[in-house]
Amino acid sequence: MSRVEERLRIGPDGTITALSGKMDYGQGLRAAYPRIVAEELGVSPSRVHVVLGDTDVVPWDMGTFGSMSIEVDGHELRCAAAFARAVLVARASEQLGAPTAELVIAEGVVRRGAAGPGLSFEELVAGAPITGEVPEDVQLATPTPSCPDAPLGADAIDFVTGRAQFVADVRLPGMLRGCVLHPSVHGAKLRAVDRDAARAAPGVVAVVVEGDFAGVVADRHDHALAALRALSPRWEPPPVSEGKTEDVTMRSDAGIDAALAGAARHLKAVYFVPHIANAPLGPSVGVADVRADEAFVYGTAQSPFGLRDAVAQIASLPPDRVHFRPRAMSGGYGRHGASDAAIEAARLSKAVGRPVLVQWSREDELHGAPNRPQLDAALEGALDATGRIVGWRFDARTNPYGYGAPARSGTMQRRPAPLRGNWDPTQLAAMMAGRNALPPYDLGVADVRLHIVPAGVRTGALRSLGAAPNVFAIESFMDELAHAAGADPIDFRLRHATDPRLRRALEAVRDRSGWHGRRSGEGRGFGVACVIYGVTRVAQVVEVSVPPGGPIRLERVWCAIDAGHIVHPNGARNQVEGAVQMAASWTLLEELPHRDGEVLAATWDDYPIATFLDAPRAIDVAFTGDDTTPSSGLGEPPVVPIAPAIANAVFGACGARVRRLPIGPEAVLEALQLRT
Amino acid sequence: MTRVRYAIEVNGQPYDVEAGGATPLLSVLRESLGLTGARFGCGHGKCGACVVLADGAPVPACTTKLEDVGARSIVTIEGLARGGELHPVQRAFLEEGALQCGYCTSGMILAASALLERTPSPSECQIREALAPHLCRCGVYVRAIRAVQRASR
Repeated sequence: MSRVEERLRIGPDGTITALSGKMDYGQGLRAAYPRIVAEELGVSPSRVHVVLGDTDVVPWDMGTFGSMSIEVDGHELRCAAAFARAVLVARASEQLGAPTAELVIAEGVVRRGAAGPGLSFEELVAGAPITGEVPEDVQLATPTPSCPDAPLGADAIDFVTGRAQFVADVRLPGMLRGCVLHPSVHGAKLRAVDRDAARAAPGVVAVVVEGDFAGVVADRHDHALAALRALSPRWEPPPVSEGKTEDVTMRSDAGIDAALAGAARHLKAVYFVPHIANAPLGPSVGVADVRADEAFVYGTAQSPFGLRDAVAQIASLPPDRVHFRPRAMSGGYGRHGASDAAIEAARLSKAVGRPVLVQWSREDELHGAPNRPQLDAALEGALDATGRIVGWRFDARTNPYGYGAPARSGTMQRRPAPLRGNWDPTQLAAMMAGRNALPPYDLGVADVRLHIVPAGVRTGALRSLGAAPNVFAIESFMDELAHAAGADPIDFRLRHATDPRLRRALEAVRDRSGWHGRRSGEGRGFGVACVIYGVTRVAQVVEVSVPPGGPIRLERVWCAIDAGHIVHPNGARNQVEGAVQMAASWTLLEELPHRDGEVLAATWDDYPIATFLDAPRAIDVAFTGDDTTPSSGLGEPPVVPIAPAIANAVFGACGARVRRLPIGPEAVLEALQLRT
Repeated sequence: MTRVRYAIEVNGQPYDVEAGGATPLLSVLRESLGLTGARFGCGHGKCGACVVLADGAPVPACTTKLEDVGARSIVTIEGLARGGELHPVQRAFLEEGALQCGYCTSGMILAASALLERTPSPSECQIREALAPHLCRCGVYVRAIRAVQRASR
């Protein structure tokens, strides 16, 4: 636990400020955090001001990922607020001469009884700020009070009026524009550039070449771009990778071969998930002002402290002389784990001694940003005569994930749940590439292995890391097993799922979607899939239509999700709906075109994503957790079951078992032809 | 690029801009006029993040050349609210919670306001067609459709 003053400040004027190192780029933290603090302090959320990611002010944080902002940081804020409440009540008790049991706290005033004499927060903190170590067992308000629901946070008005300041909107006195060369093949070595030609271009202030890094700084962006082209670089392909494979064994029960071979039914299937791009609407952007004694940086960053430390290294400054200034940023989905443009801006700014803004183009973004690893998974399953799974094998090849930004070495303030314990590379790989490779079912004898091989293209984090690809294979295969067993897919899952909360979510989505009354076939299909992601349970049913030879349409989605106490129901629904839409896009449409390490996409025409025309008619979201269970993450979990749910629905609609993404008309035709 | 003086009208105000004729309107708005509500997304007119209204019609500012603006009246997201009153579409986006990161919001709201000018009670299909040029990676499409329906009431 942290100290209360690192997390929460109640000023002499009664203003309440909550502090967190997390960044909000669409998840709704600026709406959710005030509610958490308000719930514990008995005030309106509008009274709580939030500071996110300002490295001079907020406590150190490893980064915004893993759906941990509410689960971990939100819990820290809740504990800090509960601690502050106890201090306020104790002070009021002393000053009012009343036992704490008789005091009530409401709207920023501690009173003796509902209408008795009271002291405001301002009066209670006057001259004596609340400080101290928050104990692990701090008493939280029970039951967790809930603020009235609202669509968005107080700051949302800035986005509908255009007032919100994004990173790309930063304008500093004397600011220049920079552009940096990017090779078409990731990791290529820079052999030669024409510095003189670039220097001679209009508006150029500097040409910076350091090893494989080459950039230009100019008065205007178009001038910088023209000078960059004048550099006429010669690239040498990257050294041939040694192809080092990291093997991760996640489960290896004895007797797997016998269990598979000796069963009544033995099924095998191979699944493939291609590289896809994060493809944020706003490409990477950053501004840096590196001076002799300090530096300021603005950037698309999931890890403000990681970026701060990286800039400190570039600027040869101690980290506390580098100031990360948070601004709004385009959604990232994992992409902002690598603050590429901000790092480039820092290198250029250091060279010219003036502030520099670097704005990546769409082409830069598609060519240079990290992509989701591929997955090639071979599954085997065995059923006994009663249709129960008695053997399971998952053997997959994939590529390294990674959080991108240089993670601070050494101890973390408080290790979030998925990161607890010893931290060796194999465990890390299991946590990232192997996320959800272990199904939430009773499988009998099981063997689960991953082989992590380098990818041709740059790879990195994308919403849920390995979970979405792994679960596409697992939950598609569960459907195949259910059909082989002649069982209803939801009944089949319930029969093998032991977790009561997952079972509850499955039953809820079954009932809300009217599952048992739905008939698949003749171009219309219903499919189901589920996951336990971290501690969040998700079950989804989708309805698709599959016109002969035409594109598959996602018609409706039902989602039951147990993420414990829901802090901000409307915001949480927004996250779930968005997750469904994004995952539907990559399931039905997306595949990164690439050849020999070169990404062959430069515009949205080359990498289409879902539009308004593709959006489902309705997304039904039900929260099935209860308020006594601590809040868990829900930004990532609902993306995970969408692909297999759609694949299973397509099978229901037309009998095509599509085992690769994206599920386009060609993939359906191919699967129909393979059907024997 | 020869720099020429262009007189343009943005949000009801006249501006004199000296720049090359091929300069994208988006650069003029963001760099010269300090109107950063139109966002850079792709530079090809394919994502809708930079859309502004030209004589009431949505156009991508990134592919609109300064020399082609002419006498058309430009409205950016900063100019949509009148006299401190939010436009009904802005209000509806807030009430429906139809945004996440907010990067696509400016363009979407302007396009929706143009649709409602032409078609005060659009069908869901018309809303989808009108907003199809606007990409949203966070996935607020269903909410945005509801917001436009709310604003049309």
